[in-house]
Amino acid sequence: MSGPVASTPSSLRKSVALVWRTLRSMRTAIVLLLMLAAGAVVGSLIPQIPNSPQRVAAYQVDHPLWAKLWQAAGFFDVFGSWWFALITTLLFVSLVACLIPRSRAMIRAARAKPIHARELDAFPAFAERRVALEPEAAAAKAATMLRRKHYRVELDAASGSVAAEKGALREIGSLAFHWAFLLLLIAVIVGKGTGYVGHATIVEGYGWTDAQFNYDGDVRTGRFFGGDFSGTQIQLQNFQDDFRTSGIPMDFSSQMSLTAPDGTTEQADVRINHPVVFNGIRIYQFGFGWAPIVQVRRGDQTLFDGPVVLGQTTPPGGNPLAQPWTGFVKLTTLRPQIAIAVRLYPDAVAYFQSLATGVPQPMTEANAPFMEYEVWQGKLLDNSLTTLDTRFMHQTSQGLIGKGWTVDATRGCVISGTSGAIPASLGNVTCPTNGGPATLTMGFPDLRQYTTLQISHDATVPWVLAAAILIVLGLLPALYISRRKVWVRARPDGTGSSLQVGGFALQRKDRFDEEFASLVEAVTTAAGGATTRESQPESRPESQEVSP
Amino acid sequence: MTTEQWARLSSDAFNLALFAYIAAMIASFAYLAFRRERLHTVATAIGVIGLVANGVSIVTRGIAAGRTPWGNMYEYSTMITFLVVLGYLWFIEARAKVRTVGGFVYAMAVLWMAMAVSFFYVGPTALMPALNSYWRQIHVTAMITASSLLGIGCLLTIVYLIKAASERRELERLRTGTTPPPIMGGAGVETSDQDAPPDYAGGADEPVGSATTSRKIGLPPSATLDALAYKFIRFGFPVWTFGVICGAIWAQQTWGRYWGWDPKETWSFITWVIFAGYLHARATAGWKGTRAAIVALVGFVSLLITYYAVNLWIAGLHSYAK
Ligand code: HEM
Repeated sequence: MSGPVASTPSSLRKSVALVWRTLRSMRTAIVLLLMLAAGAVVGSLIPQIPNSPQRVAAYQVDHPLWAKLWQAAGFFDVFGSWWFALITTLLFVSLVACLIPRSRAMIRAARAKPIHARELDAFPAFAERRVALEPEAAAAKAATMLRRKHYRVELDAASGSVAAEKGALREIGSLAFHWAFLLLLIAVIVGKGTGYVGHATIVEGYGWTDAQFNYDGDVRTGRFFGGDFSGTQIQLQNFQDDFRTSGIPMDFSSQMSLTAPDGTTEQADVRINHPVVFNGIRIYQFGFGWAPIVQVRRGDQTLFDGPVVLGQTTPPGGNPLAQPWTGFVKLTTLRPQIAIAVRLYPDAVAYFQSLATGVPQPMTEANAPFMEYEVWQGKLLDNSLTTLDTRFMHQTSQGLIGKGWTVDATRGCVISGTSGAIPASLGNVTCPTNGGPATLTMGFPDLRQYTTLQISHDATVPWVLAAAILIVLGLLPALYISRRKVWVRARPDGTGSSLQVGGFALQRKDRFDEEFASLVEAVTTAAGGATTRESQPESRPESQEVSP
Repeated sequence: MTTEQWARLSSDAFNLALFAYIAAMIASFAYLAFRRERLHTVATAIGVIGLVANGVSIVTRGIAAGRTPWGNMYEYSTMITFLVVLGYLWFIEARAKVRTVGGFVYAMAVLWMAMAVSFFYVGPTALMPALNSYWRQIHVTAMITASSLLGIGCLLTIVYLIKAASERRELERLRTGTTPPPIMGGAGVETSDQDAPPDYAGGADEPVGSATTSRKIGLPPSATLDALAYKFIRFGFPVWTFGVICGAIWAQQTWGRYWGWDPKETWSFITWVIFAGYLHARATAGWKGTRAAIVALVGFVSLLITYYAVNLWIAGLHSYAK
């Protein structure tokens, strides 16, 4: 890098080199990692559009000034913002810049042989023994012993010199970990970018097709999503829910048949924590509820015939299962327009019991279900199935309808049906026989359940998983294996040889002393065993053992 | 015994453990101040009683709830306290023979348990089906273990910073004073190697540079503390990594997305990234020692936020705490 330069490089090239060197440094990696963390902190403190658009909207109303600032900085969608992408990209580049030379160096090191050393007594760990074998044989035996201990060994028998090292797995693990992290980032970005996720509501006995406009509300699509939904058809046969006696849910499952556009079909049972993968999409059990089948007629003209998907609003702290279910039938073609608001009590017995005792009872099963209804006339402002804006409407009637009944919705009286569990005092008034023909009749032939499924497409899930596994597998040797180097040198000494052993560890040094001591023993034994002074009278006693 | 009786036993054991940890904390700090052998014996004995009571509380709660007792924040906290104290008594006190940091450990245990009862207490109940998965068990177990390990590591880091500062003052005093500076007085603040503590097999609490006796904080040498702290964090980091991955697998299974930047997920990622920064800092010249220690502490604060603040103030899918 330094020294006289033959052809003066342009300042541009110099600064590029500088940037590259900066990116490669570990310091940059640390700073970038901490910046990534800081960005994520912002993302968790300020409401995020993808997670909770309502909270963002509320925030914009409450703090208009801050909201403008956050908006400009992209703080409402940190993980989709340009600067988060910039940090990630820099981290990418830094990682690659750091990994390529490291990987090259590792391959080079794997090919190279361990290098012989001269002054073994200069190493932190050192020992000397006299052994029975001659130098050449002693070195060969020592090499074999070290190989058996999984050292990489280089033997120079002629000079009685052995060089050995162990622990390359540390660097391999570390590289595997870093590459895997890179792979993980890429796989996540590609997967989320080309995928989509949304919710589908299907009533028992009905079907649904995977296409943009069939989803409830918005489908969240990735930045690079081309718009081709899978076209899978789902036919819901049955929904099953099980509760404990306390009303705590235990299990939900949707039995369905699935059909791909190419005609392959499959029978599936989607349960909580047991998603089903079919035709490239994943199907999860997400929610459930009640959907009464409602028929509305005027004379012999059918205005509505089908399921009405009901939802719940639970007061804070209340047991949702003790609450009634609400929904709307909106008849937009009539003039004036008509909306029928219904409130379903799935279990009449439990409901009247809670009225009598004051203790809310969960209504988990259909048991003499009935609905309260209100008829509104006027101008409908929207098509929402979950809310009714009554500003331009007035209520014309109300009443009660049990399952299997037919009612006159205009007058709020019952045309046919048996009251069963419902007290007559609650207003289930039978229509007078001489009242003339009903203008609007409503039937409630059946009560079904609906399931809400989460449907998602993410093509890189297996890659993400593989990368994650590689991260853990690479991390372990990267953190726990230590690199060790050991040298042995045998010199002629009388009939046998004098064996010098030296070495050091780059990591976990506190553990090395013990290992080194046992290595010295093993090598000595392999080289014919330590000889006693009697058999080697000419030995110099002071060289028997030198400890560091 | 009935469910209620098991639940009551669990509560009683919890209270006993809390009081035992308070007493052990006082005794340990007293030992640090006065160095009476008996104080240390008392502290350890009470600590063990607290640990046993803590364990009984966890097991009986499991029996009362009819499931593994790590289903909510209260239970995580009791479990973490148990593991932290166990880890301390076993690895630091019995194996590494470091005795003087006990007060800090018990203080943390007390804080953790007090948080648990005051903010997160719920009766033993069954779980929502969505929370009932095989992966959840593994995830939670890993996260609890990792938190305990990282917690101990960071505690040791705090003690390390205190000790390192006092060693620096000592060196400064020697340099400016009339006494000649010691020859490598064991106070290797900046030279603390990757993981080469001075031999702490015996009497590790005694400052090495015995010639430089003066007013010193009676803690193990900073290099020992640093190496120990590193060991715990190095152990905790892969476990945390594994735990986060299991959490992602669980989320994929339950909610159909392995990652959604839900606050709890976001914060566990932040914590992970900071500790990765710590490991890098340890391996970088110029960041070793104090700077790396500060990164570790930031990581610990982040861990606490992951556990507590997210549940208390920031809602998300994981908000099953209450
Ligand atoms: C992007 C996220 C990254 C994570 C999560 C990460 C994590 C890690 C971890 C856990 C270690 C093991 C530390 C140890 O052995 O004590 C490590 C080592 C290392 N990392 Fe990274 N790293 C990241 C990015 C980078 C980048 C961008 C670079 C290069 C500029 C880099 C360079 C290194 C080097 C050279 C080591 C070896 C240190 C040693 O063992 O002496 N890392 N990294």
